[in-house]
Amino acid sequence: MKNLLSTTLIFSALIFASCSSDDDNPIVQNTVEAPATYKFMRGSESTVSFDGQTTRILMAGETANAFMDFDNTTEASLLAMFNHQAGNNDFSEASLNASDKNLRSKTATSYDYFFTNTSETAEIRADFENYISSQINEVFPNNMVVAAPGVAGQIADGSRTRYVNAKGLEYNQAFAKSLLGAVMADQMLNNYLSTAVLDEGNNRENNDNGITEQNRAYTTMEHKWDEAYGYLYGTSANPENPNLTIGEDDKFLNEYVGRVNDDPDFSTIAAEIFDAFKLGRGAIVAKNYEVRDEQVAIIREKISEVIAVRGIYYLQAGKNKIVDGDRQGAFHALSEAYGFVYSLRFTRKSDNSTPLFTKTEVDAQLDMLMDSSNNGFWDITPETLDAVSEAIAAKFDFTVSQAGSL
Amino acid sequence: MKFLKLGILLAFIIAAITACSSDNDSPEETNDTFDRGAMLTNWADNIIIPAYTSFNAKVVEMEAATTTFNAAPTVENLQTLRSVWKDAYVSFQNVSMFEIGKAEEVRFRNRLNVYPTNVVQIEDFIATGNYDFALPSTIDKQGFPAMDYMLNGLAETDAEIVTFYTSNTNAEGYKNYLSTLSETISNLSNEVLTSWTGGYRDTFVANTSSSASGAVDKLTNDYIFYFEKALRAGKVGIPAGIFSNGTLPQNVEAFYKKDISKELLLGAIDASVNFFNGKSFNGNTTGEGFKSYLGYLNTIKNGANLSALINDQFNVAQNKANELNANFVQQIDTDNSKMLATYDELQRLVVLLKVDMVQAFDVTIDYVDADGD
Repeated sequence: MKNLLSTTLIFSALIFASCSSDDDNPIVQNTVEAPATYKFMRGSESTVSFDGQTTRILMAGETANAFMDFDNTTEASLLAMFNHQAGNNDFSEASLNASDKNLRSKTATSYDYFFTNTSETAEIRADFENYISSQINEVFPNNMVVAAPGVAGQIADGSRTRYVNAKGLEYNQAFAKSLLGAVMADQMLNNYLSTAVLDEGNNRENNDNGITEQNRAYTTMEHKWDEAYGYLYGTSANPENPNLTIGEDDKFLNEYVGRVNDDPDFSTIAAEIFDAFKLGRGAIVAKNYEVRDEQVAIIREKISEVIAVRGIYYLQAGKNKIVDGDRQGAFHALSEAYGFVYSLRFTRKSDNSTPLFTKTEVDAQLDMLMDSSNNGFWDITPETLDAVSEAIAAKFDFTVSQAGSL
Repeated sequence: MKFLKLGILLAFIIAAITACSSDNDSPEETNDTFDRGAMLTNWADNIIIPAYTSFNAKVVEMEAATTTFNAAPTVENLQTLRSVWKDAYVSFQNVSMFEIGKAEEVRFRNRLNVYPTNVVQIEDFIATGNYDFALPSTIDKQGFPAMDYMLNGLAETDAEIVTFYTSNTNAEGYKNYLSTLSETISNLSNEVLTSWTGGYRDTFVANTSSSASGAVDKLTNDYIFYFEKALRAGKVGIPAGIFSNGTLPQNVEAFYKKDISKELLLGAIDASVNFFNGKSFNGNTTGEGFKSYLGYLNTIKNGANLSALINDQFNVAQNKANELNANFVQQIDTDNSKMLATYDELQRLVVLLKVDMVQAFDVTIDYVDADGD
């Protein structure tokens, strides 16, 4: 009996301990002091550089907006924006036109996921080009038609007008929210934060010895890290301290890290992501690759969480409108959800190199959203939206109701 | 024995898990037996249907005056039409908040009163003769604000305005546009009124459920949404620059008529107070409504009765609004602080309604601010 009591006590103690709060900080043998801001200098020169990412975020913004310019956009002009060539006048800003960067070349091209998987790269790029072509060929001709099941056109969403395809999908939303995964998250999580990229060639040796790139203030490893950083903070008002305006600086990852952070259930996520970025960069300066890689794991986990939480949030928002009898009012949220679900393909487990969602899993979810009935969003059921939400949440340690609330 | 051990162990574990499983217990059970059916009946029979009936009579008159004007576009007929248009616009303030049933389905408020109206596209529609007011994208080219432009905004003087309907090379186009506007308002109004009198009234009154789909919950949400977005923000906050860098005088209600913005605002506040108090549209009797429901729940805040607090705050807001110039463009240009002061009082009402009142009713707010794209 004594035995029983002590066993019980031990178990209870364990249980209490296990719920007595979040994770304590992992024990780190060799610590790196966390810098106050994302400011790193070599002598008097800043070593931080990510203008290529800033350029691509701005290109993505203009391209997504051009989807709705019924008077000026053509299939050719939109495809040219997506696959910009240096010198062509595809954008309103001269610096973007002059740039040799473009979106298409960075779509689904991360080292870890696509280096030996170019057939999928081709499929994903074709999806984006299909959003573009379909917008011009299906939605543009019907921009002065009231949409109905099987008919593309306008729907009313409160005082706003949305333009949808025959199944109720807004291609501009699908494009923008899929791009957030296929370019921004994929490049960040699976390319620039990949060990294969950070430690490529002599990167470690050069970083250990402070050997910078030719005519640059930064080592290659530092720069790779900054390029990951730029996909989230590249258009921040204050890139050294970007959380001052998180959520306000673009319409892609930055916006949605901000939105998820607004949910009391996830109110520390923006701080956790930024802290990991600056500590990891500090670790590179301190040549501490163990601490660096711990931060990579945090960033992967949290950015993946942002995409999943926001996807579920929009699925639930759409479901609630349908339940309230405002089906057409649900299409905008569902179109955003579609893009976020598409982006799940590029999320990643924190502890190893495998995707959180296989292509097969994501395709199955997209099919449920678009093809579980003949008319897509026009007759999708609340049950289907819940099923997709639950399938996403099952991979994480938050619930559908936590993600769906605000 | 082994089972006993296991049982005790499990009990402990369950207790431990439950203990830390978290926060909110479900809210205290209230024994709310307020007669929601009586409140819905008072709303439908003494407020909503009479208000729509009165509004509908005015838009029918407006359609007739439009026909008269188009047949003989004189200054005199213009002034008659304008006066009828104004009466109908003021009367609209009594029904704008009831965006439920058919009104919700046809998007009544958005079809009738989105401003600022889009003058460039109106002129384009008139020039091409190609427009369809059923399209969601045309809400800022129709309704009372579009008529405001057609009757008050085409030129400086009435004589000049009339020439658009007489000597203008596309006078037919202007006449057609004007009559389509007037007719569309009239048709929508008739559609909503006949829905109420033709069966929806009974559905509404019978829907006494205290769930999100119940009529009380839905209309409470519609009322607060209207008060927050259409009244507080639309009529005062947006033109006063609350949501922008700098003021937006071109965004006042009735921008082209100019001197009725205040009258429209006061009419809207009146209608909101009266609905809150359950006051009959015709006459001074009051019946079941938010006020009596709060009284029933005996909700106390700051030692004062919540419904009294709300009525007091309505008074304060009315007094502030009364200090404004009849012409909001002038008010904004000369002393915008008075617009801001009015906004602040309306904002206090939003808090009382959207937080305190709905908490007392255990009603959940069903709308969130859109995320801006």
